[in-house]
Amino acid sequence: MRTIELQGISKTFPGVKALQGIDMLIHPGEIHAVCGENGAGKSTMMNILAGNLQPDAGRISINDQIVSLQSPQEAFEHGISIVHQHLSLVESLSIAENIFANQQPTNRFGFIQYKLLRQKTKVLLDQLDIQLDPTTTLSELSYAEKQMVEIAKALSKNPELFILDEPTASISAKETKILFNILKNLKQKGVAILYISHRLDEIFQIADRISILKDGKPQGTFPVAEISKELLIQKMVGRTLEETSDQSHRTGEVLLDVKNLSGEKFTNISFTLHCGEIIGLAGLIGAGRTEIARAIFGVEVKKGGEIIFKNESIVFDHPEEAIERGVAYVPEDRKHLGLFMDMSIRDNIIAASLKNARDGNLFSSAKATNMASSSKQSLNIAATGVDQIVRNLSGGNQQKVVLGKWLLTNPDVLIIDEPTHGIDVGARHEIYKILSKLASQGKGIIVISSDMAELLRLCDNIIVLKEGSKAGTLSRQDATEQKIMSLAAN
Amino acid sequence: MLKKILQDRVYSLLVLLAAISAVASIVFPSTFPTFENFRQILLNLSIDTIVAVGMMILLISGAFDLSVGSVVAFAGCLTAYLMHFFGVPVPLAIMAGIAGAMVVGLVNGFLIAYQGINPMIQTLAMMGIVRGMALMVSGSGIQNLPYWFNTIGQSKLLGLQMPVWYMLLAVLMFTFLVNKTIVFRRFYYIGGNEKAADLSGIRVKKMKLWSFVISASLAGVAGILLSSRLGAALPTMGRGLELRVITAVILGGASLSGGFGKIPGALLGALFMGIISNIMVIARISGYWQEIILGIILIATLWLDKFLQKKYADLR
Repeated sequence: MRTIELQGISKTFPGVKALQGIDMLIHPGEIHAVCGENGAGKSTMMNILAGNLQPDAGRISINDQIVSLQSPQEAFEHGISIVHQHLSLVESLSIAENIFANQQPTNRFGFIQYKLLRQKTKVLLDQLDIQLDPTTTLSELSYAEKQMVEIAKALSKNPELFILDEPTASISAKETKILFNILKNLKQKGVAILYISHRLDEIFQIADRISILKDGKPQGTFPVAEISKELLIQKMVGRTLEETSDQSHRTGEVLLDVKNLSGEKFTNISFTLHCGEIIGLAGLIGAGRTEIARAIFGVEVKKGGEIIFKNESIVFDHPEEAIERGVAYVPEDRKHLGLFMDMSIRDNIIAASLKNARDGNLFSSAKATNMASSSKQSLNIAATGVDQIVRNLSGGNQQKVVLGKWLLTNPDVLIIDEPTHGIDVGARHEIYKILSKLASQGKGIIVISSDMAELLRLCDNIIVLKEGSKAGTLSRQDATEQKIMSLAAN
Repeated sequence: MLKKILQDRVYSLLVLLAAISAVASIVFPSTFPTFENFRQILLNLSIDTIVAVGMMILLISGAFDLSVGSVVAFAGCLTAYLMHFFGVPVPLAIMAGIAGAMVVGLVNGFLIAYQGINPMIQTLAMMGIVRGMALMVSGSGIQNLPYWFNTIGQSKLLGLQMPVWYMLLAVLMFTFLVNKTIVFRRFYYIGGNEKAADLSGIRVKKMKLWSFVISASLAGVAGILLSSRLGAALPTMGRGLELRVITAVILGGASLSGGFGKIPGALLGALFMGIISNIMVIARISGYWQEIILGIILIATLWLDKFLQKKYADLR
């Protein structure tokens, strides 16, 4: 049983005061949520507790003993275990070797006992209800499964303080439920849990107390019963945001007609996308949502069925053709599939429309800068200039850069996979507004999302997928979270 | 201005080169700062630089080619072989030599881009294969090459030997292509993030194939030029050249992980190494020490670069 106390923690990075005088008390057997927009200082605080960063001022005490956490190893020795938002796993090793990295069970000669390693892993995986063989190589897993392995890895250390940074950003409702049950169990055992999430519904569902950060400054800690969602948002962003369902812009004109489409992980998918319509693809992780998008975009080969785009049957054998015809696909994994992290905003935004950045036949850097600047302006990307390197932007601004890249190709159909994954409330609303505006211009949009509130707000029709088949379609009028879940999970 | 120097290797190398040359001119006033000396430095690095231009393109796209040294020998020897034993006219023989190099590049590129073989393994294997082929066509070397073949590499223009002009031509041409054409811009995207590049509509496999063909072709041109300059084709030409060239390109601002680098950097990196070697020769430092010092300089430069980048980040 440990009580962790932060007193006056401050941390300054060149040019940014990331944390200013944070006081926080985390009790054993408590789920303590930390809320704040991206850039509010949550990750910095996590990294200080995990031993990755050292505070400039202030102290951390565990059971009234002042501790200094100089490295992740020391934090670990104090019983602090962290589930990272960005995975800390090795792709080429097995699940078991990842979970017990650097703490593999050994025999008395110091050799690794692989049988015991597998057994211990199996026990952990069963606890998390993950139906995977411990010897499976990590690269074979989906993003959600990797996230679950990351959680298992943190759990394997029997933590006293368990820190989770956006654990549900990429897992589905079913897995979230399993995770929450585990957290409740840990809580009963007296483990202190620090929970960071952008999903306010989850926080209200599971947290006991909520601490709010804004621009590195503490905004107070509240028992969950004493604060409303509206007040929480107001304290996080300093303004109120309307939570409404958007107006439909759907017209009668058919843009994309998918007929009995089948692929490696889905079969017999049919739907029609009209001009100005937003269709949602809902379903659990692994239901085949992303694969459908990739098949339409020409990344994956379709096995059967037909795609009719603007009254013409088409097969794209490479994204290049899809882009030329006016289809865009914003992938879920921004960092690995969407962005060129070490390149400038400008180079990222023009990446899919290099052919337009020309003066005559030659590449014109002035023209590229113009194109990027106008995107930056219209999407309201917060950066010093288009020369800024994308790695240094916040998640929300990075997502806007990816969106800007695709909007510059002037698509008629925009497929967007988890549009607000890991993005704070403010930027999220801006992205919704952009999507809604695109629909009003007559573009067809397909939104893939695990965030049901997002689908309910944006979509004219929601197609629910289950294990690669269509489980049902819900119109804007009848869709509710319960109906989506019952179609997706039963 | 400071920002530019700290951030862009082309500028920081220029400053460094100027400083080193200034010091060397003061220490060795009669031997270092002469036209004759610089002409020699440029001539010595011309072959390496032509190969380095191709290597720079590969490194920008996130790959590298260890077989270029062997291709230099093979292209030179094949051209000489055709002229010497079959009396093939000089232009045709040159074209055949370049075509031979291109085939090597095509094989490398196809296996790496389309079959997924690791570039290091593939080009390491190719290095041995192509060296063997060079030995096969030339035996212990071919001399007595046609007179006007030799003039290609041995004549002078404005006091400078022709290889220097060819080198400048290659640098200028590829600087233009990389800065000004859409096709070559794509290499930065491929090096920056291959998967994102593919999803952005860039045909990554095709581009990678061509990057190896370009690099091998430039190595072929360099090899033919070298045998013309020597007046002979030797199967040992270009031995160890691949590592020298990669060193120069890295010094010139490329990164092994791809996405960075500029073509003039290839010339400046080679020039930097050329000037250091030259100073060591003038200072009568032994050959053993020269190798050691060059290695230390490479590490020191890269470390300094990391240090400066960090300083720059702190400055903001």
